[in-house]
This record gives sequence, structure tokens and C-alpha cells, in this order.
Amino acid sequence: MKEVLRFDNVSMHYHSKQGETVALEDVNFSVTEGEFVAIIGPSGCGKTTLLSLAAGLLSPTKGKVVTDGGSFGYMLQKDELFPWRTIEKNIFLPLEIKRTNTPENQKRAVALAEKYGLAQFLKNYPSSLSGGMRQRAALIRTLSVDPDVLLLDEPFSALDYQTRLSVCDDVYKIIREEKKTALLITHDISEAISVADKIFVLSRRPARVIAEHVLSFPETKPLKRRENKLFSGWFEILWKELNT
Amino acid sequence: MKNEKNYSREHLLYLRGLKKKNIWINVARVAILLCLLGIWELSAQLAWVNPFITSSPSRIFKTIGELYTGGTLFYHVGTTLWETLAGFFIAVALGYGIALLLWWSECFRRISEPYLVVLNALPKIALGPLIIIWCGTGSTAIVFMTILIGLIVAILNMLNGFMATDENKLLLMKSMGATKWQILTKLVIPSSLPNFISMLKINVGMAWIGSIMGEYIVSKAGIGYLIVYGGQVFKLDLVMSAVFILCILAAVMYSAVALLERLVIKNRK
Repeated sequence: MKEVLRFDNVSMHYHSKQGETVALEDVNFSVTEGEFVAIIGPSGCGKTTLLSLAAGLLSPTKGKVVTDGGSFGYMLQKDELFPWRTIEKNIFLPLEIKRTNTPENQKRAVALAEKYGLAQFLKNYPSSLSGGMRQRAALIRTLSVDPDVLLLDEPFSALDYQTRLSVCDDVYKIIREEKKTALLITHDISEAISVADKIFVLSRRPARVIAEHVLSFPETKPLKRRENKLFSGWFEILWKELNT
Repeated sequence: MKNEKNYSREHLLYLRGLKKKNIWINVARVAILLCLLGIWELSAQLAWVNPFITSSPSRIFKTIGELYTGGTLFYHVGTTLWETLAGFFIAVALGYGIALLLWWSECFRRISEPYLVVLNALPKIALGPLIIIWCGTGSTAIVFMTILIGLIVAILNMLNGFMATDENKLLLMKSMGATKWQILTKLVIPSSLPNFISMLKINVGMAWIGSIMGEYIVSKAGIGYLIVYGGQVFKLDLVMSAVFILCILAAVMYSAVALLERLVIKNRK
């Protein structure tokens, strides 16, 4: 299996009038094709910075972010669907941006939306959809350009607890079925345990990787994992690591 | 009400109550207008007040009739309407364009900020004499005044709208690899549409202020001219009539914008 993303001693400093902030310090980790990797860290430790670096929106102060040239899809905390576009037009947005808005690509995107239960909503505006459905539409939008790696920035944190569990299950299923590599960033320990193959733990700012865990669960579905006996064990380990 | 049959009795009562209340409010609005006009007319007829100073609805009606038969009504209305609309559209278009430029370049934005602030605070009427000398005493001067009054407001309102674009949506666009032009056309302009509408509403008012004020300073025709002229020769019927016409025109123009708003903003929340 090849590496699709690697951070080599990456440091990131922010400059402002008030001074210099070190967001990341010597961060090392890698993501292999087909893996679901979660990175957890305390709030405000520079998680979003890390994703922006991975997506190439920022360049590191020191070190290197290495990718294998594959494309990235970014999914944010809120769905950020454009309220003036129908769901269908929202899903076509990345195609328009990349100027690949061809009938075949549109058809592929629509097929994807239909496969995951958005068929009846395609001509609707986002305001008529539930929070869970909207986040699903946001995922289909991300997938419409067929990215190789998905970057998920706490994609469930804006939802209420019930919806969150089911949308998490949902998104996990879609990502697995479409055989995507995913990098999830979150501060929610149980969310990370319920989806990830591998977890990296970040320290407080300036963030460094302080631990790496490979998780093996007999079940793969997030909700099933939460019921597993191993779950609480992992939770305790990660909780301690986050609070040291 | 497609599913009216399925509603419970309580809900139907509730709906009926809402309807009743709406009707009542409309009746009250009309009644107040009729009452005021009635009292005004009556007090003039019975000479409780001097109708030479206060005018009266019937005298206003008569004056407008005279203007109409004299053939000058539409000339004056047309002149003011033309000046107002020309000033309105030029100010809106120019303001929108300049706001776009300011959004595009942070440098340009920061450089122009103190100028915009001062120009916004400056009472534009102070430039009256200059405008007369620069543009002459015709309609051009009045249109120029109207543009001056609306322009800065249009720029500031639109710029606010552009700058208020949601940070996360910007991040989303950037993560998709959008160019600045794509961000502008696919995100910033559509998301600022409500600001555009409210800017239009504000500028309807500004345009009328501009054209009437312009006509106060310098004019040979128009509604503002009628008001000033009527005041100078103590024909208060004429002043009142002109104000009455102005009320109607401003209301019509405002409802046109409100209609546009209803057409454009349907699916937003």
C-alpha cells in the first residue's frame, strides 16, 4: 500500500502584530491508501491548520508536506451548502470550479447522490433538508470530483447527538463503499475510536504528535464499535494522553 | 391552503383569526387616512384653520387637476422622475462596481477608507454651488447631485455585504481550488444579494432626497421646483400638491424594489 500523504517534521508559525504563534512543531505522520486515519487533539491545538496544510491551502514554515499527487476533498464542520443553489447545483459546484462540469461527470455525481438517498431532494433547496441530510449532501458534493483523499474537519460537530451518531455511521459507510482514504480531525475521542484504523494524538499548542495507535475492532460499523468492550479501554488510554 | 380539509378545528380557527387580524389592520390603516383627510377638509371648510396656510384635500385635488389641464403636470413629474431614476441607476451601478474593486484589492480598500468616511459624513448639499458652476443649471446638475448623495452609501453598503461573506464558505471554495474570480462570481455576489436589495431600498430614498434637494438649489422644472416656487409665491396648495405627488411616486418606487426582493429572494434562510 502506498503512502498518499506524509508530514515530515512540519512546523507552522503564524505571524501577527501581537507576535508569533507556533501552531505546529515537528509534526510527523503518514496516511496510507485506503486507511481511515483520525487525528485527535485538545481544542485549539491547530487541527484546522494541519488540515489546511494537508490540502495545500497553507505551506509549512519548516518541514515538508508530501503527497503522491492525488486530489483532496475537504469537508467542514458545517455543511456550507449554498442556500441559493439547489442540492443538485451544490453537488455540481466542485465540478464547476475545476471546470470539469461535463454531462458525464454530472451524471456520475447525480448517480452518487441517488445511491445515497438524495434522489428526491436534488431539485430542493438546502433549507428544506434536515441537518443530517444536509451533511450527507455536503459529503456527496465533496465526492463529486472523485478525490483520492478526504479531509474531514470535525464534520459532525455541528449536529445534535442523535443525528451525529447516525450521520457518522452514514458517512463512514459511504467513505468505505467508495474506497476513499480519509483523514479525520476531531477533539471527540469516541468519534475517533468509532471510525479510525489508526489514531494520532496531538499535544497542546504547539502541537506535536505524542502517540500513535493502530485500532483493530472485529466490527467496522461505528455504532457497533461503540458497543464493543474494547471501546472503553481505548477511550481511557486516549483520554489520559489528551490530558497530559 | 392545499390541505385545508386535513386541519383540525382549532387550526382552522387559528387561521381564521390570523386572517381577521390582517383585515382589521388594513381597515385601520385606511380609516386613519380617511379620518385625517376628513378632519383636514372639514376644518378648512368650516374655517377653523386658514385654508390659505393649511390648504385642504379638495384644494390639493383641484390644484393637481389644474396642473393636468394646464399640461404641465406630466412635464414636472417626468422631469423629476427622470432625474431621480437616472441618478438612482447610475449611483447603484457605479457604487456596486467600486465596491467590487474595493473587495478585490485590500490595499485599495485601506487606502480609500479615510476618503470614503469623510465623503460619507460630508453633507453633499454643501457642494451645491460647485455643482451649479460645473454642470450648469439644467437637469445634469440635479442628476449629479443625486449620484453624489447615493454613491457613497451604495459603496459602503455593498462593500459591507461583500466583506461579510462567510469565512467557512470562503475556505470551502479555496479548498476546491477556486480562483478569486470564481469566488467572486459563485460565492460573494450571490451571497450578498440580500445586501444588494437593502442597498436598493436605501438608495430609493437617497435618490429622492438628491433630486428634490437638487431642484431646490437649481431648477426650472420638477416637483422640487414646484415646492420652492409655491413657497416663494405663497401658493401653499401647490406645495401640498407637489408633496402629495412625491409621496405617491416614492411609494411606487419602493414597492417596485420590494417586489424585486420577493422575486429574487425566495429560497434563502
